[in-house]
Amino acid sequence: MHAPVSKVLVLDNSAEHLPQIKSFCEQHNLVPLKVRRGAEMSVLRTNIDLGGILYAEDYGATPEQTASIAAEIHAARPELPIILRRTGRATLADLPETVRRSCCAAYVASDLGALRAVIGEYIFCLLYPNALLRGIAEITASVLRSQCRPLVVSMDTPHIVRDRVIFGELFSLIPLESAWCRGYMMLQTEEGPFLRLLARQHSAATGIGFRNVNDLLSEITNLIWGGFKNRYMSDDGTRAAKQVQVPLIVNHLHKYISFGTENPQLCFRFNLFDPVDGGAVTIYARFVFNLSWTPEEFREVRQDTAGLVDSGALELF
Amino acid sequence: MAQILVVDDSSTVRDEVSAFLRNAGLDVATAVDGKDGLSKLRADAGIKLVVCDVNMPNMDGLTMVEKIRGELNNKTVNLIMLTTESSPNMKERGKAAGVKGWIVKPFNGPAVLDAFRKLAS
Repeated sequence: MHAPVSKVLVLDNSAEHLPQIKSFCEQHNLVPLKVRRGAEMSVLRTNIDLGGILYAEDYGATPEQTASIAAEIHAARPELPIILRRTGRATLADLPETVRRSCCAAYVASDLGALRAVIGEYIFCLLYPNALLRGIAEITASVLRSQCRPLVVSMDTPHIVRDRVIFGELFSLIPLESAWCRGYMMLQTEEGPFLRLLARQHSAATGIGFRNVNDLLSEITNLIWGGFKNRYMSDDGTRAAKQVQVPLIVNHLHKYISFGTENPQLCFRFNLFDPVDGGAVTIYARFVFNLSWTPEEFREVRQDTAGLVDSGALELF
Repeated sequence: MAQILVVDDSSTVRDEVSAFLRNAGLDVATAVDGKDGLSKLRADAGIKLVVCDVNMPNMDGLTMVEKIRGELNNKTVNLIMLTTESSPNMKERGKAAGVKGWIVKPFNGPAVLDAFRKLAS
């Protein structure tokens, strides 16, 4: 299983520095997304899986414009860390307050160690066991294949995201509770492609509506949750910890959800493709461990192999 | 009169399981949660087999089967759990409540049809 990557928006026009950024990104599991000047806000509106922004202090035509763009981005997407490349010193201290408020850290091209540390602090601050990444991918792909026949299921490399913008019109949430993690799994998708999938499955669109889509996403969520629980969550008594909760905030107008933490989220993108008619469905599965995360205690549940029964088979008592 | 009662809060599962069993010639009723399941079972003495999910709103499946054996004092209806749960503790609780069998989702009709026919006859 590949280590998780994170997509970063690169707002830097330095011909000299861009190859260095590209090379840095390749070495540090970052996917750079270059944007033409003036298109920053539209890209921010359409990308829902960003991890951060690499921003140059000479990005604007003037220092004031650079500060103004940074402030606009920060106002629109405060959850995204803006990391400023400076030509002098790797500090924000001597910059105007607008820039200091908008950016989280600074680095210089001659010392990428500082950038590495910032990326580690803001994006890759939670470590995910490889067995967990592989397991989530296997469980989810298997459920999608069983529930979304005859579509072909593929998956992108897992992403670390800080974005809180919701993809599509439809999402499900289910709590994940164990001794080593507490949080939520969230599935996000678009209704239209799912409706078309259901119409194909039922070989007629009559009577298929949004409630059918809701039901299917609910069952997919339930099956993935069950697989996750059986594989990673033993009956280990987390009752005391379960009393701790924080409010979740959903803002429909801005398609925004907050879990009450600044922590980045683990995100899987699944692509479902119909080889017959070319139709496609995209599903994002996000794992948000906002209440507790102690990966050093992570373990797979050991089942008595003699007692294992295949899913779908009847185990008689 | 139905032979089999399928209890699941997911309409996707209810539709899938009941359509498969009906196509196999069995009479099927459905319920949306444990409370509804108890009510349907009370109202239909012909039900021989209950296929039931565990995680449901209002009343979960294990509570429902405990009430079938306890409150309803129905010791004869066959109880099968169809669920994403596979923990030994859950199964032990099911066994203690008189559950006859356990199926981990997803549902695989052909794999269980013969057993369902016997249990529903």
